[in-house]
Amino acid sequence: MAGFREYKIGARIFGLALGGSMTITLFFPSINIASTSSTDVALAKQLAVGHETGFNLDDPLLQGKNKPYVVYLKNDPKTNQPLAQAMTVYVYPAGAPFPAGIIHPRILGEGIEQMSVEQGHITDARKDAGAVFALDKGVYQGKQISFINDLTASKGWAPADVMRVAKDEDVSHAGKGKTMFVREGCWWCHTLLPEQTQDWQVFGAPPMQGDFNGESPTAFGSDRKAPDLLHVGSRNSSKEWLMMHFFNPRLVQPHSIMPRFDYLWGEKDASGNKIDYVKWRAEYTEYTEGKRVTPPDVPSYASDSEIRSLVDFMLSLK
Amino acid sequence: MSWNFEKPLVTLCDAATNEEDKKLWEKEDLGGITEDNNRMPMPVVLLVVLTVLTAFAVTFPLWGQRPTAELYAGFVKAMDTPEVKAIQNDDEAMKKIVQMNKGGGIMGGRSADDMIDRHPLSMNDLRIIKPQIETLMSSGVDLGEYTVVGDRVVLANFEGNLKADGTHERKQPWWDKGYTIDIFYLSYFFIMVILLIKRLPPSTWQPRHNNH
Amino acid sequence: MFKYLLAKNEDIPEGSAAVFFGFSSIIWFVIGTGLGSFNAAKLAFPDFVTGDMYFAFGHMRQVHVMAVIFGWISMAFAMAMMYITPILGNNKLWSEKLGLWNCLLWNAGLLLALTLLWAGVSSGREYSDFPWPIDLYLATCVFIPLAVNVWMTILNRKTQGIYTTNWFFAAATFMVIIVFLVGNSPEFFHLTGLTEAYLTWWFAHNVLGLWITPVAAAIAYYTIPKITGNPLYSHRIGHLHFWSVVVFYSTPAAHHLMSAPLPEWLKSFASVEGVLILVPAIAFVSNIMLTMKGKWYMFVENVEVRFTITGCLMAIPLNMQGGFQQTRAINWYIHGTGWIVAHAHLALLGFSTFLEAAAVYLGLQTLLKRKLYSLTLANMHFWLLLIGFTTYWVSMTIAGLIQGAGKIYEVPYIDVVIAEHPYMIARWLGGTLVFFGNTLWLYNMWMTARKGSVVPQGRMPHELQYER
Repeated sequence: MAGFREYKIGARIFGLALGGSMTITLFFPSINIASTSSTDVALAKQLAVGHETGFNLDDPLLQGKNKPYVVYLKNDPKTNQPLAQAMTVYVYPAGAPFPAGIIHPRILGEGIEQMSVEQGHITDARKDAGAVFALDKGVYQGKQISFINDLTASKGWAPADVMRVAKDEDVSHAGKGKTMFVREGCWWCHTLLPEQTQDWQVFGAPPMQGDFNGESPTAFGSDRKAPDLLHVGSRNSSKEWLMMHFFNPRLVQPHSIMPRFDYLWGEKDASGNKIDYVKWRAEYTEYTEGKRVTPPDVPSYASDSEIRSLVDFMLSLK
Repeated sequence: MSWNFEKPLVTLCDAATNEEDKKLWEKEDLGGITEDNNRMPMPVVLLVVLTVLTAFAVTFPLWGQRPTAELYAGFVKAMDTPEVKAIQNDDEAMKKIVQMNKGGGIMGGRSADDMIDRHPLSMNDLRIIKPQIETLMSSGVDLGEYTVVGDRVVLANFEGNLKADGTHERKQPWWDKGYTIDIFYLSYFFIMVILLIKRLPPSTWQPRHNNH
Repeated sequence: MFKYLLAKNEDIPEGSAAVFFGFSSIIWFVIGTGLGSFNAAKLAFPDFVTGDMYFAFGHMRQVHVMAVIFGWISMAFAMAMMYITPILGNNKLWSEKLGLWNCLLWNAGLLLALTLLWAGVSSGREYSDFPWPIDLYLATCVFIPLAVNVWMTILNRKTQGIYTTNWFFAAATFMVIIVFLVGNSPEFFHLTGLTEAYLTWWFAHNVLGLWITPVAAAIAYYTIPKITGNPLYSHRIGHLHFWSVVVFYSTPAAHHLMSAPLPEWLKSFASVEGVLILVPAIAFVSNIMLTMKGKWYMFVENVEVRFTITGCLMAIPLNMQGGFQQTRAINWYIHGTGWIVAHAHLALLGFSTFLEAAAVYLGLQTLLKRKLYSLTLANMHFWLLLIGFTTYWVSMTIAGLIQGAGKIYEVPYIDVVIAEHPYMIARWLGGTLVFFGNTLWLYNMWMTARKGSVVPQGRMPHELQYER
């Protein structure tokens, strides 16, 4: 073959070039990223949110099914007697898939993995029976670390018992809320990544490398048209404000360009009455036209509504 | 595959291969399209060289740096000096502190004076972060690795070069293995492309297409 | 189309697959830009169509993006490949039948994928939003059949050589499959954390860098020499272009996450490589511009040349932005702002769309053997696209600079939203012009198929006079 049509050589160089590029951009960084231990943030976040909040077979239509609850537990689920100290537990009802750290403990990082398996018995957790997890502190090779404890295995606490003794106001639907965050596309405008070199004073400290272990999707967002939300729960923890803001952002911030998420209230309000959206919108229009002095009241949401979970998720972003 | 290294800048093929190539080049009609064998224009070569040099220069972390605990360490020390303590007005006191800390030279590769101008502080801000910075100073850590975030001083989240103890430096690096890989990668690219191009017949020869 | 799906390959008229791909791509372009205009209206006037899940911005934004990338741009690419690849090898498309099935499965799959996305069934990963079963479908029913057809056509060519355009087509159809399968691996294998975040951007970067950019450029390598009749200026610059795309464009993925806690060495590496994307750009633009020598009057007189050269010229600001905005020196200011949105539109609506539109104009006329129905409509299309795009780009760039300043000086966010408002209106107007331009184009190409004058055997459409 003539010199300038050396396609066999060309094909080999092509393979070398693409392979080299993939080695440097995929293989090398994966060594660094895989060796990162989970921080406490990552442990709490993955337990609160569960396995996967994008499309998955346990929740194919992103309705927030098969998600864990975060419970601020005050009573012993077996005896219903008050606990010596209230604690935060992560309740996985039967059938809810466990987060990556429970299924693959090696992503937790050195020490956390050993403690969670040996003392926390996380490998004993069964999806079909459900499980209750909590974060515990322990000492591994002289260092103080956090690890995951499977309370169903160690204390015999069943998910259903925990839910029975917990009051609704102590339960957070943050896991389902993150599903709403993904489904409703909140992350197209609100980033979850305060920038490394900028905007810390307003939006809080940027995350550390180990803050994401077990989380999927991370939904950092790339096009910030609205405030960063990674630490929104520490800036604003008012449920009433969030409720009004989601129903119609212009109620609390006249210049906001956020869409209304009133449809997340569903059919009925907290007391089981049908929500009359047409009436509400008509009254709101009158208000904007100056025919009413005050805007109509925002209906309070039902405890199993989608908006409740989204508000819970916002409040969980500390 | 024959190589000829007599005139490497002209062609790397021997005369016979080049003759064969030329015949093929002139004969072939690729769907009505033909190609010329013009040399790489000098402006293109210069632009490519300029791009390579610029690529390294603009990647060094020169801009957008947040204030570190190191930047305000001098401020904290100055707060306790008698001349600052003597000033009652906060704004005046801060002016004095800034004045005492100017002329600091280079800090983390940047002019410390510029950084002070870019990140002004009120006396109340300084009072809040003072104990935190003092704790850090007494613990003997590298203050350049801590950043001032609002009213808190926190460890920066940069995953920089490895230190001797196996942890990462919390600073953006001036040089790291990324740049080293870049140099290797660039050399590999330019060597390959030059070899491929020099396997063509010399650029002094141009194909005569049909009636061209 | 349906009557050919079960016909024998020999009985299917040459170019059928390309024609169906051509019209599909224009229809998706109309849909995609219509959605874009609608979304922009919602950013300017938030209470425009409100309180309904299916018309919420967060449900529609990604449908616009995916419709233009996988509907308009990628189908225009398929169209270009299906008629250019065989011409350059002096042979026929390997299988028209596979091409037609490819077109049918592509349209059906994309329709399903976008419907699901619209309903919120998303992986939550930007640019790889489709759920993983859809990703597998797109790989097996869209990209693999396309690659097989292109590769088999090239392998069965009747020439000894392979022209530059076909190097790119062959390489890009191969690379896009790799990028698709590797980039979506977090969904297939439930990879989490920073690995997921990084692979999301590895995919997003490479689908642009190894699919859209090289194929768009390859099209220009065909249209300009073909229509002007000039030989391609330099085979050597073609080498520089091709190899620098493979080597440099495939590496800077991490520069999309300059503000995330990735290892700093990876950012240093990616950022230097990111500036080096100027190398393929320099090679491409210089090669095309030098090929135009002596034929610049065609830039004014010929629709396809005008579209192509405009696209090439836009590659200059595109790559100047793309190369430098990702460095540590500049990224801290403009990251996550409207500047990036403007840049993304410069890449997809400016640079690449103009090159693909030329290919679709030229291809449909050549394959249907009909002269363009109306030059006036084509001119209006061109100017509506150019003015609409420019309005969009300028307004979003300004909005981005405002956002950047707001970020650096820590202005309360709502003040930034207020300051951006006029630019959001301008953006909506610009996008709407593009949408109108495309509806004219669809009409023009439909009329070309129905009423355009027949191009005699052995002539090329550009050799004939325009009639209207």
